[in-house]
Amino acid sequence: MSLAVAFSAAPGTVVALVGPSGSGKTSTLRAIAGFMRPAAGYVSCGGEVWLDTTAGIDVGARRRRAGFVVQAYALFPHLSAVENVMAGLIDRPAAARREEAHALLARVHLSGIDDRKPSELSGGQQQRIAVARALARQPRVLLLDEPFSAVDQPTRQRLQAEMVELRGELPMPVVLVTHNVDEVARLADSLVLLADGKTVASGTVNEVFGRFDLRPHTGHFETSMVLHAPIGAHDPSTGTTFLDHPAGRLSVGLMAAAPGSMARIRVRARDVALAVGEPGRLSIRNRLRATVSEIAEGEGQAVDVRLDVGGETLIASITREAVRALDLKVGQPVVALIKSMALDRPGDFG
Amino acid sequence: MTSRRMILAVSLVLAAAFAPAAALADDVPTIAAAADLQFALTDMAAAFHAADGRAVKLTFGSSGNFFRQIREGAPFQIYLSADEQFVIDLAALGLTLDEGDLYAIGRIVLFVPDGSPLQPDGELNGLKTALAEGLVTKFAIANPEHAPYGRRAEEALRHAGLWAAIEGKLVLGENVAQAAQFATSGGAQGGIIAYSLALSPAVSSSGSYALIPDAWHQPLRQRMVLLKGAGDTARAFYAFLASQRARKIMRGYGFVLPGETS
Amino acid sequence: MDWQALWLSLHLASLTVLLLLPLAVLLGRWLAVTRISGLSLIEATLALPLVLPPTVVGFYLLVAFSPRSWFGDLWRQVFGGTLAFSFEGLLIASVLINIPYAVQPAQRAFEAIGNELREAAASCGMSWWRALFRIELPLAWPGILTGMVLAFAHTLGEFGVVLMVGGNIPGETRTIAISIYDRVQAFDDAAAGRMAAVLLLISLLVIAATLLLSQRIGKRRG
Repeated sequence: MSLAVAFSAAPGTVVALVGPSGSGKTSTLRAIAGFMRPAAGYVSCGGEVWLDTTAGIDVGARRRRAGFVVQAYALFPHLSAVENVMAGLIDRPAAARREEAHALLARVHLSGIDDRKPSELSGGQQQRIAVARALARQPRVLLLDEPFSAVDQPTRQRLQAEMVELRGELPMPVVLVTHNVDEVARLADSLVLLADGKTVASGTVNEVFGRFDLRPHTGHFETSMVLHAPIGAHDPSTGTTFLDHPAGRLSVGLMAAAPGSMARIRVRARDVALAVGEPGRLSIRNRLRATVSEIAEGEGQAVDVRLDVGGETLIASITREAVRALDLKVGQPVVALIKSMALDRPGDFG
Repeated sequence: MTSRRMILAVSLVLAAAFAPAAALADDVPTIAAAADLQFALTDMAAAFHAADGRAVKLTFGSSGNFFRQIREGAPFQIYLSADEQFVIDLAALGLTLDEGDLYAIGRIVLFVPDGSPLQPDGELNGLKTALAEGLVTKFAIANPEHAPYGRRAEEALRHAGLWAAIEGKLVLGENVAQAAQFATSGGAQGGIIAYSLALSPAVSSSGSYALIPDAWHQPLRQRMVLLKGAGDTARAFYAFLASQRARKIMRGYGFVLPGETS
Repeated sequence: MDWQALWLSLHLASLTVLLLLPLAVLLGRWLAVTRISGLSLIEATLALPLVLPPTVVGFYLLVAFSPRSWFGDLWRQVFGGTLAFSFEGLLIASVLINIPYAVQPAQRAFEAIGNELREAAASCGMSWWRALFRIELPLAWPGILTGMVLAFAHTLGEFGVVLMVGGNIPGETRTIAISIYDRVQAFDDAAAGRMAAVLLLISLLVIAATLLLSQRIGKRRG
């Protein structure tokens, strides 16, 4: 398979490589890590050129400081958890290794399992050890190959929340390979969409997910748009927190965060309904003032409508019949009714 | 397996590997002897040790095999062949100290194990009849290619006109001692082996034998020789082999000594 | 009971194993990770001693050891004395014919580790050497050891090649297997029987050891 991929990532950001199986995501990671040598390529990280086929430069995998977490974790089965992390600390003085490894495990929320072997631990614990080991070497880039796919749903939610928290503290870029668009919306700052080894699109999450022409790749019903809103006030009596989005007030379950801190909200297109004019009494409390900015072309029952909500983008997936009934036009003001949304709560581990 | 047991096992292997090999610095020469001398030479070596105090190492096999090995540089110091031609050839190749000495004339016998349909008839008439009646399926001789006793056995069988009938039933021993082993084991109905072997208690207790007329084959002129590089012990033993003590032992095993008649 | 022959056999087997160990580790590992195109050919060549009759091996070794060949002549010039009918010659023969017994289990053991673990070691910054000692050998040792045990046992029992290349020289090339053969021809069944029993016992111990080891390998994978 031939690859044609190009992207860059700033420290502390997460770039997601998204695409179906066989689209070249893992090969790209392996090329960055140095386990695959492309016919032609250029990889530069942290100011060092790792690969430049035109100049004949190919730094060996061992010398590239790339932290790599593979799908099966590849933990050393004969070493304990702390010894696995110590394996990444061979550059450090021997006396300090165990302590530093222990600290890294604590950082990924693993305690009390230092001396257990990987086979005695759960999938979620193994994944965290793999991440700790990758970070031990203070890599210039962190490469994650479908790191959440081998665990069950509840564990996955928890691990993703931890990754969100960890991401903010990391001094290096993170390249995340996944075919799960939900994960992308939750974790990534930007993404590269791959199909058959070629780059189909790249950009921020909203930029890529918002494009109608990419729907065959990103999927109709699963893609989320991302909204940002500061926390306004808490009402403990009803267990509600209010978010003050420019386009309207949103109420969510009680959050343990101070007013003023920014919340990140993910809204799926299928969870958005539209109303023209002021809606009557509805059980859906979350309503945002919106303007129709685009109505998708194409056949089929469902139509995607792009909305501008206070400067941010939202997409509503409604029926063609509804579009006609409401006589929707570009530029028309509407109310976006959000039935359900996913919240990244700071400090919450699911 | 605990690591302690592993360490023990590894230490044992290392100890065996690095232990000094058998003491080769001592002058204990190795003697290559034709297989018919299996018992006779063992007795002589014991007598030598009792008289002289020194020891020798004996290895028995087919004379032809030893000839080849010595030619390839095998580290023997004395060679006792059952066929003097081998010794003469070695001398011509310059591998010996001299032409050596004739030490005995050997004889062949028909050996018949207990329970066999054959009778110990030196003239081989019984064998002829048994072959005709189909009672003989296996008959042991030494390999005529390189064992002198085997060659003589073939000559005797041809002389008796039995070769064609018996050739397909032959079990060939690598040397005459192995042929004797085949013959006594009961796997064969009989065989032609060395007289010296038949006289030993081990063989004679399991069957009976009869001398085959020596006119029926070339004489078994057995020659011994000191090889190049032979040390003091070898020379002493070589000399012992010509002594009265040694000759008495040889006679006991049916050998005809040079200068004597049987 | 020919203790000298037994000792000689143990000596030969131990030295063979010692010489084969580094070869098995390095060659086994290389075979497990290499991707060169002629790999099957190399594996087939290394497996030859498994299928070749011992007399064929013995024959070619005799030719190579003979002072008339360049190898035998070189040996004689450097060390004096011939390679045939010597313990050193037996050792060379023994190492050669045991290569598949030692290398194949080691190769399987290294293959079982899988490249993912090797890449993880590289990602940790480990040198090839360090990865071999810290990661690969601790995981592969049961397989390597199995190969050593097999080679040890096989050497103890080797007859055809030893007879052809070594002759039957007491204290030098008369191994216990040869000694049994020798005693049978000398009509000394008692001694032959004792030595055969000893070899049988050792063989049973070897089988037990390999079974234990393969259980351990199985446990590790499961």
